[in-house]
Amino acid sequence: MAAREKYDEAQVVEQLHDPKLCKAAFGKVIEHYSSQLYWQIRRMVIDHDDANDVLQNTFLKAWTSIDNFRGDAKLSTWLYKIAINESITFVNRKKAMNQMSIDDDESFLVNQLESDEWFDGDEAQRNLQRAIATLPEKQRLVFNLRYYDEMKYDEMSEILGTSEGALKASYHHAVKKIEQFLGET
Amino acid sequence: MKQEDSTILKKYGKDPGFKVPENYFADFNRRMTEMLPDVEITPVDVKPTMWQRVKPLVYMAAMFAGLWCMMSIFSHFTPQGNMDNVRAVAEKLYDDKGNVDDFIMSGVSDYDILNYEDSVQMSNEEEPAIKK
Repeated sequence: MAAREKYDEAQVVEQLHDPKLCKAAFGKVIEHYSSQLYWQIRRMVIDHDDANDVLQNTFLKAWTSIDNFRGDAKLSTWLYKIAINESITFVNRKKAMNQMSIDDDESFLVNQLESDEWFDGDEAQRNLQRAIATLPEKQRLVFNLRYYDEMKYDEMSEILGTSEGALKASYHHAVKKIEQFLGET
Repeated sequence: MKQEDSTILKKYGKDPGFKVPENYFADFNRRMTEMLPDVEITPVDVKPTMWQRVKPLVYMAAMFAGLWCMMSIFSHFTPQGNMDNVRAVAEKLYDDKGNVDDFIMSGVSDYDILNYEDSVQMSNEEEPAIKK
């Protein structure tokens, strides 16, 4: 098996703007970011097949608009932004297809969890996912990025376009709501 | 991780319970790379612009100009009377070097000086007699 090439972001960004090297460079981007983006998307859409579709759309969108990426922001920030937008759009579209209210995230996500054949968590993990599903969209996003990815607030602020103070408050409220939900169950 | 989520962390951990098919990421990466459509990429001119090249020099020149302006303003607003005082004090200090001689001579009384002058005068008067 060939040794995995070391990922150098500055070099990859430079190669992305070279017509001869861009496709190979984007392959490196896919290899480097597919896992972390997948898990962020999966926690938003819950179902594996849906997460797979959204991840594919995310990379396609990034690739077709790669010319607009000038390296002003970090590549990870740009990709996370696309992934989060794609996830939100997907969830809203699927809710509309199932004739559910746009605000009814909880029952939609719980249904997704119940029908996902790639969820094999125990009762406690299922309860935590149910608790996260009760959160408003923004708080759910902030909780997932902070709790699972341990993302710093300044990076989160760039991705979500919200102040660090507001994100800290969102996270604090999310934790309280989850604790309350879990205390009741 | 902060204190506030430690209860959740202790009880539920970080595994959300989601799984993926075996070799999912390796397969996905290969499939995704293969399906990328051809896109037109505009090569980016990585040469720095004229402004980017001269920017440090301009900033440095602006800094020195600012310093020069500040010094001009300070000297403009310093009252001339103060400068005269400074000059007067300097001259006084220069003149006062004579005081050092005064200090050394302070242990000698007027009587001693008169005695000394008398003795000098007397010796001067005696000398011609010897010559004669």
